[in-house]
Amino acid sequence: MIPEKFVVPIGPQHPALKEPGHFEFTVDGEIVTNATARLGFVHRGMEKGAEDRTWAQDLYLMERVCGICSHVHAMAFALGVEKLAKVQAPPRAQAIREVIAELERIHSHLLWLGVAAHEGGFDTLFMFSWRDREIVMDLLEAISGNRVNYSANVLGGVKIDISEKQADEVRRGLDQLEVRTAHYMKVVTEDETFLGRTRNIGLMSFEEATLLGAIGPTGRASGVLRDVRVDSPYAGYPEFPVKIITSEAGDLEARFVVRINELYESYRVIREILDHMPAGDLTVRVPRRIPEGETISRVEAPRGELLYFLKSNGSEKPERVKVRTPSLCNWASVLTTAVGHKLADMPMILAGIDPCFSCNDRMVVLQDRSGTQTWDWERLRQYGIEYYK
Amino acid sequence: MNLTLPPIIAVLLFPGGLFLLGSGLFFEYLDRKLVARFQNRIGPRWFQPLADFFKLLAKEEVIPAGTIQSLFILLPIVALAAALTAAMCVPLFGLKPFANYNGNLVVTLYLLSMMTLCIGLAGANTKDRFSIVGATRALTQLFSYEAPFLLALLGPAIVLGTWNISEINSTAGQSMWFILAQPIGFVAALIGLMGKLELPPFDAPEAETEIVAGALTEYSGRGFALFRIGRDVELVVGLTLIASFYLGGFSNPLDFLWKTALLLLVTAALQSLFARLRIDQTVGLWWRVGTILVMAQFVLIILGRTLAPVIAPLLGG
Repeated sequence: MIPEKFVVPIGPQHPALKEPGHFEFTVDGEIVTNATARLGFVHRGMEKGAEDRTWAQDLYLMERVCGICSHVHAMAFALGVEKLAKVQAPPRAQAIREVIAELERIHSHLLWLGVAAHEGGFDTLFMFSWRDREIVMDLLEAISGNRVNYSANVLGGVKIDISEKQADEVRRGLDQLEVRTAHYMKVVTEDETFLGRTRNIGLMSFEEATLLGAIGPTGRASGVLRDVRVDSPYAGYPEFPVKIITSEAGDLEARFVVRINELYESYRVIREILDHMPAGDLTVRVPRRIPEGETISRVEAPRGELLYFLKSNGSEKPERVKVRTPSLCNWASVLTTAVGHKLADMPMILAGIDPCFSCNDRMVVLQDRSGTQTWDWERLRQYGIEYYK
Repeated sequence: MNLTLPPIIAVLLFPGGLFLLGSGLFFEYLDRKLVARFQNRIGPRWFQPLADFFKLLAKEEVIPAGTIQSLFILLPIVALAAALTAAMCVPLFGLKPFANYNGNLVVTLYLLSMMTLCIGLAGANTKDRFSIVGATRALTQLFSYEAPFLLALLGPAIVLGTWNISEINSTAGQSMWFILAQPIGFVAALIGLMGKLELPPFDAPEAETEIVAGALTEYSGRGFALFRIGRDVELVVGLTLIASFYLGGFSNPLDFLWKTALLLLVTAALQSLFARLRIDQTVGLWWRVGTILVMAQFVLIILGRTLAPVIAPLLGG
C-alpha cells in the first residue's frame, strides 16, 4: 500500500505570500519530498491590452506590470521601441535612466532583504531594512515625484531631469544607506541564528543553476556569470559600466551576500554618473507610427533578465508585446532545491529568488468536471479579439 | 506582605481572577510595546490587548467539520483554568499565595504545562494540515524545554530545602541571589519560559510564514480569546516564579513590579534579537546544550549539599 501523502498547501492565500501563488509541498514529517507550483491567480491580460493601445499609451501600461520594478519595464519597452524606430535617446537621458534603474534596484533589494528576513522569523531585520528603504523611496520621490511608478521614461528619452541640488540629495542619501548596508552585511554573515537558517540551505550548484536556467542574483549566487548590464550593455551602461557580482556558494546566504554586494555596486555607479553627468537634451522625437519590424529588448531587472519582444506592423499600435519576466525563469530552481529540506525552510527558499507573481502569470487554464483544459495561443488570441470587440 | 483576604475575593477578584487577567493583558501590552520599540516601530496603545480580547469574544466562533465538538470548546477553557489555578500557588504582587502548601512548586509546573498540552490537543483535534503540523511542533517543543525548565526551577528549591513556592520566595533574598549563585539555571528558566509561551525565536509551532497560526489556525472568536489570555496569565505566573526564585524574591507589590518588568525587558530584547529557530534547531539547542548544562549544575548542587556537612567541619574546624 502506498502511504497516504501529507500535502501542506501554501497559497493562494497565505501569510507567507504577499501575492497569490499556489504551492503544494508533500512532506514526510518535516522533510519536504515533493514540491509543485501553480501560478496564474493574478493574470491581468496586459499583453493583450497592449495590442489595443498606441505605443505611447503602452508605456504607461508597461510601467504597471510590476509595482516594485516599474522603471525597468518602461525602460525595456522604450528601448525596444526606439530600436524599432531607429532613434537613439540622448546620452543624458540614458544616464538618467541608469540612475533611476539603479535606485530602483536599491529599493528592490532592500525590500527583498526585509521580506526574506521576515520569512525566516527575523522581524527586527525586516523592520530595520524597510525603514532604511524609505531613504531611497524619498530620493525617488524627490527626483520623479512618485514613490512607486516613477514614470521617468518617454519614448525617445526621459521626462525628468536631475538637477545639481537633487544630485546632492541623492549623494547624501547614498552615504546614509552605505553605512546601513555595511551593518546588514554584518548581520547576514555573522548572526548565528540567522546563519543557521541560511548557510547551506537551498543549495544550488553551478551545474544545476545552469541546467535550470537560473538568472539574476539567484543564478549569480551559484556562480552563473550572467548580467545583461555587463553582457549587452544598454541605456547608460556602456559609458558607466557595473561590475558583475557573483558568489560560488550557491546557498541562501550567498543570495543575501550577492544582493547586498550589488547594493554597493549600485551606490558606486550612481555616484559616478552624478559626478560625470553628460549634458544635453532629454528627448529625441519618435514617430507616431513605428516602422514595421520586430525586436527583442533585454534589460537587467533587480530579479534578473527582463525580456521584451516587440512586433510592429507599421501602425500606431503594436502587433504583439511579449513580456518575459525574471521570476518565471527561477521557479524551477525553487521547486528543485526545495526537495529534501525542512518545511520550515520553504518560505525562505521561496523568498530566496525574490519572487514576483503578478508579472509572470500567462496561461489560461480552464477547469471543469471533465478535467483540465489548456488553451493554446491561437484560441486565446481569438478569445481576446472577441472579448475586446 | 501579609494581607488576609477572604478566599472568594482572593480567587475571583484580587490578586487572582479578574485582577490577574487584567495584569496579564498589561504584561502583554508591555511585551508588545517593548518588542515594537526594539524593532523601531511605534507599537500598540495601552488598551490594545484588552480591545483585541473583547473583539475576539464578540466574534462568531466557527467550529470546523471533522472535529470533536466538545473537545474543541473545552480545550481553551481548560487551558485558561489551568493557568489561573497555577496562579493561586505563586506569590502574585508579593502577596501570600492562596494555595500555600509544601510541594505546590510541582503542582504549579504541571499546571503551567497544561497550556501547551491543550494547544497540542487542539491542533490534533482539527483536520487542518497547518494545525496538525503546529500541534506536532508544539508537543516536540514541550518535550525539549520541559526537563531543563523543571530542573532550573528545582535548583533553588533543593538548596533551600523546601518545595513550597512561598517559602522559597521569602528565603531566596536572605543570602546571595540565585541569579548569581546559579546563573545557568536562571538562563534556562527564562529561555524555557519563552519556549513555553512560544515567543520568538521559539515560535516555530506558530510560525506564520510556514503554518499560518499553527495549532490554533482553526480557532476564532471565544476559543482563541481564551487561549490568548491564558497565555498572558501564564506569562505573569512564569515571570513571578522566576523573579521569586532567582531575583531574591519579593514581599511587596513594588518589588514585584520592578523585578518582573526587568525580566520582561530581557525577554523582549531576546525576542527581537534572533531569527526564528527551526524546530530541529530548538530541540538540538535544548538537548545538546541546555539540558546538559542544567544537569551539570543540578548535580553540582546536590553534591555540594551532601558534601557540605562533611567538608565544612574540616575547613572551619
